[in-house]
Amino acid sequence: MIQIDDLTFRYRESEHPVVEGITLDIPDGCFVGITGAAGSGKSTLTYAMNGIIPHCYPGDFYGSVTIDGMDTCDVSLTDISQVVGSVCQDIDSQIVTSIVEDEVLYGLENFGVPHDQIEERVTEALQSMGIEDLRHRVIASLSGGQKQKIAIASVLALHPKVLMLDEPTAELDPASSRAVFQLLSRYAWEHGTTVVVVEQKIALLSEFADMLVIVDGGTIRFADEPRAVLAHSEELLKLGVNCPRSTTLMNRLAGVGLYEGPVCCDVQEATSALMEVIA
Amino acid sequence: MIEFRDVHASYDADIKVLDGVSFQIQDGEFVAFVGTNGAGKSTTMRLMNGLLKPDAGVVLIDGVPTTQLKTSQIARQVGFLFQNPDSQICSNTVREELLFGFKALGEVGPDAEARVDGVIKEFGFDPDDDPFLLNRGTRQLLALASIVVLAPPVVILDEPTTGLDYKECVKVMDIIRRLHEAGTTIVMVCHDMEVVGDFAKRVVVMSQGGVVDDGPTFDVLRNPQTLTRASLIPPQIVDISLALPLVDERLATSPLAFANTTDEMQAAIAQEVC
Repeated sequence: MIQIDDLTFRYRESEHPVVEGITLDIPDGCFVGITGAAGSGKSTLTYAMNGIIPHCYPGDFYGSVTIDGMDTCDVSLTDISQVVGSVCQDIDSQIVTSIVEDEVLYGLENFGVPHDQIEERVTEALQSMGIEDLRHRVIASLSGGQKQKIAIASVLALHPKVLMLDEPTAELDPASSRAVFQLLSRYAWEHGTTVVVVEQKIALLSEFADMLVIVDGGTIRFADEPRAVLAHSEELLKLGVNCPRSTTLMNRLAGVGLYEGPVCCDVQEATSALMEVIA
Repeated sequence: MIEFRDVHASYDADIKVLDGVSFQIQDGEFVAFVGTNGAGKSTTMRLMNGLLKPDAGVVLIDGVPTTQLKTSQIARQVGFLFQNPDSQICSNTVREELLFGFKALGEVGPDAEARVDGVIKEFGFDPDDDPFLLNRGTRQLLALASIVVLAPPVVILDEPTTGLDYKECVKVMDIIRRLHEAGTTIVMVCHDMEVVGDFAKRVVVMSQGGVVDDGPTFDVLRNPQTLTRASLIPPQIVDISLALPLVDERLATSPLAFANTTDEMQAAIAQEVC
């Protein structure tokens, strides 16, 4: 679905490239988690995947980014947005209407979705995020977490082939964060949607992502299934990425010879593995 | 000391946000408020620094109701770090930002200048930097520094680590830990249970506008009824420690069932295996 080939990009006002020599292949329907320290280049990488780069930010662009067969340099941002739906980190900068239903309708009307499909799309999008009860609420009266779900539902209504989210759970409590990832994961599986999430909560990425991408200094240091990436917990820590503590615990036990099994990605796996260690 | 006595609060007559909240926070404590979105945590913080007044009940700072205190009097007692540093930063340079609080309090002078210089050195800022051109983590540090420089006896932090990467999180929390060790009362709203477990000494759990549990950090985070009632997910090591005796009840008396940190769990496993 997304092919990035030797991408290097320097913002016009920057002295050095922010991303350099990046090659990445994201298959259809893959759930990808991108993480890394602040300033590592992960946001720039996502801008290259949703066409913001090169269409909105001027600079030097080398290599190529292909989305669903389109070279992002050869098509317009409108063409790309028909395929890639993006949810910003700053939700308030994305919301443009005052009522929840209007917000979901806004994108559908702009995309010229046939009138007879609109009601079904709105209902389905709100249901997929579990917010049908908010349909007629004033957005300004809702919590940050509820607004995040509205922003995601508004994009889901457009049925994008690729869903790109920048820290979608930043304002959510742990249970709600997990619920959002469960909803996204289920939606993506049911619709075959490719999902790219930039997220600092690596425990969530470890549990839900098919591929974990670690960006450091404008390059990709790791891009593999979470289990393979989390095996490098010491190195990740030096890059400013702290593994889930269940992973760190089991990696430590492996380091002192008390555990020989596969890397654990979450609490359930670590609990099962510990039972074997104790036995 | 901060005290809430049967505090009720609402933003709209139809929607109660706090419904009879009572607690005391003694000088020098490090307290974390946890709970789901909409539980009433941020409202509690706003009542604590006088941004909101209660509909009923009373909020006392050192025995004086906030309704009888001017905002400037509360500001001297209680510093407030907003979740989003951009809600707080308003000056064109780092130095001006750090002096802003003194200007607002009418206390600009050689002492204020010296304290600003000290904080610039401590945090490693460039005083001429434009705050709005700094990255998110550094803006968060600047917002924290603008509170620290005023040296209030109480500091309230609303989600101090949201949006920060691991290294920035460690840096911010290290400064908060040092403030606490120097005697500052810390009150923190935090969704990151690993941070809560690492730093807070006491946890207050809120749910649906009320306090549902209040006690030493790991007493609260290991209480299954509290975790269920407030939809909390405990720190991962606590989660494992609580799960193990459910898998094998013979482990109920093992140190494994009481481990709260990675070090404690590793030591308990080594003991169990040997």
